[in-house]
Amino acid sequence: MASNPMEQFTVYRIGPEIKIAGIDLSFTNASLFMVISASIVLLFLFLGSKEKKIIPNKIQLISEMFYKFVAKMISDTAGPKAKPYFPFIFSLFMFVLFCNMVGMLPYSFTVTSHIIVTLILALFIFVAVTVIGFIKHGFKYLSIFVPSGVPAVLLPLITIIEIISYLSRPVSLSVRLFANMMAGHTMLKVFGGFVVSLGILGGWLPLSFSVALTGLEILVAFLQAYVFAILTCIYLNDALNLHH
Amino acid sequence: MTVPEDFKTRLKIAKSKIKNHLNKDQEKRGTFMGNAFKLGTELVAAVGVGTIIGFILDSWFDTKPWLIIIFFFLGSAAGMLNVIRTANKMQKKD
Repeated sequence: MASNPMEQFTVYRIGPEIKIAGIDLSFTNASLFMVISASIVLLFLFLGSKEKKIIPNKIQLISEMFYKFVAKMISDTAGPKAKPYFPFIFSLFMFVLFCNMVGMLPYSFTVTSHIIVTLILALFIFVAVTVIGFIKHGFKYLSIFVPSGVPAVLLPLITIIEIISYLSRPVSLSVRLFANMMAGHTMLKVFGGFVVSLGILGGWLPLSFSVALTGLEILVAFLQAYVFAILTCIYLNDALNLHH
Repeated sequence: MTVPEDFKTRLKIAKSKIKNHLNKDQEKRGTFMGNAFKLGTELVAAVGVGTIIGFILDSWFDTKPWLIIIFFFLGSAAGMLNVIRTANKMQKKD
């Protein structure tokens, strides 16, 4: 009965094996849950925007709340210039949020607890922001690596440090989301295992912890999606408005 | 369609109440926790990236332990820079 707490993270194949040019492209449970999360987002927003009432019903209210939340976040952190990137950040936020939230359901799989998923998201953001920076400013974009008011002796050192700091962005972005989700789910499983092994006499304490941790995990699921989106806004801001 | 004056003022009062309560309490509590997570990973990620760059350059130039040591310290410096920047941004917001 006492199962491995890391077992919940195993990826397995669903359906036939698909191999193209030696790369395994089979449909796995991870892909299944990504599809589920994405379709929940789509369905939710579709239902929310179907009837455009002046006095909104509940689902319309919630979807408008999400819209306003992300719009405010973008205008606060990146200014009016970032308005065209709203669809990207909104879909990113909704996808990460719903992946995290779907992972909170029993017997489900948390896609964001795998570093490869979060790393690809973060690398995509990193490349996109860099490309946007170069398109908007040309080679002047490289000046973010050269801070003003630094003595010439220190300049090479500072530039290397700045480049490392810039390269560490996707790593910190992805590791944060992955570590939070994985640690939380492992902890839930460990406490669940305590409940089983301590039985009806001693199991109540870990059970109460489990309940509290579930609440905390839902908070973390929301918070990490928020942090992911707001950091994207901050990086976008650095690329759009050069001087800071 | 006209909106009665009475309703307008009531809406204004309700809106300002929501702003005062919700924005100051809940949003801030959420962002504080997010910020705490942010600072930790910011430091670690830069150290990791610096060390990896040092390791790669070492195997390119065949200068085994030296570049990894140098880039470890540069990465630590970058991590501290990241933390200071994030902390500055947090202070500006308040």
